[in-house]
Amino acid sequence: MKVLPAICPSCNSQLNVKSLVCERCQTEIQGRYELPLPARLSTEDQSFILEFIKASGSLKKMAGLLGLSYPTVRNRLDEIIEHIKLTEKSGKDSREKKL
Amino acid sequence: MTETTAHSHRLSRWLFNPFRFIAGFKALLLGLVIILISASIGSVSNTHFDGVLDVHTGIEAPLWLFFAEGLINWICMVIPLFFFGLIVSRSSFRMIDVFGTQALARWPYIIIVVVMLPDANRRVIEYLMSKLIQNAPAIEVNSIDVLVFVFAMILSILMVIWMVALMYQAYVVSCNIKGTRAVITFIISLIGAEVLSKFAILSLLSRTFFFD
Repeated sequence: MKVLPAICPSCNSQLNVKSLVCERCQTEIQGRYELPLPARLSTEDQSFILEFIKASGSLKKMAGLLGLSYPTVRNRLDEIIEHIKLTEKSGKDSREKKL
Repeated sequence: MTETTAHSHRLSRWLFNPFRFIAGFKALLLGLVIILISASIGSVSNTHFDGVLDVHTGIEAPLWLFFAEGLINWICMVIPLFFFGLIVSRSSFRMIDVFGTQALARWPYIIIVVVMLPDANRRVIEYLMSKLIQNAPAIEVNSIDVLVFVFAMILSILMVIWMVALMYQAYVVSCNIKGTRAVITFIISLIGAEVLSKFAILSLLSRTFFFD
């Protein structure tokens, strides 16, 4: 399965979903849907979040799993949090602009 | 990335930023062992770390004094960095990481005390001192002595630079501070720590040698 692109390769803007297809009955829904926030993160960030959840949200466990030190893992998480906040803010701003 | 490139990349990370992999209690324990080992070897060649950035050979002293010098240097560096971390960092961090990584960052000390071991260094230093002091007994040095001494000096300077780079990386990783804020607060801490440690060690030396 191909990796879902979240950023436009031409202008670096956020990509949206235009159509959704049911693989069983081939029903196609057309429209403009925003990608959910987790899907807008990079593949590395997404896999980090998944591993973090699987480790019950323990940074110590994550550090052990990744073979990294505790502060390195915590800094990585802080980076993702910062990224999520920025993505949320830019999404909110663009929605306000459209209105 | 080929296997060799990946291996050398990991090796350079271990050399220049081991805190990516080690921090906390492990780093603290290793760091204290490093301070103890460098103090023990340093006591053989009378190599003193009489300031955060200072390396001098000279006065014969008890082992505990060499160890105390290492501990004072470490504490003097950690305290300002920790407080800057509390003020400047946007994320929460653990005290043990700041203390541990700063202790581990002192491992180039071991290389310095090892290269200062050969007796040639002492002979050259005594020779240089005799040139400064009038009526001092003549001391002979040969070209190998000079070569060993120059090598030790160059390596010591490089190791001090390396140690400063490691201390900076330790600060960045443990407190999660980046960019200009990290550089400025680190430089202020380093200067403050140098002054503080110099003063503390000098007063310890004077108490040990003049009030004993």
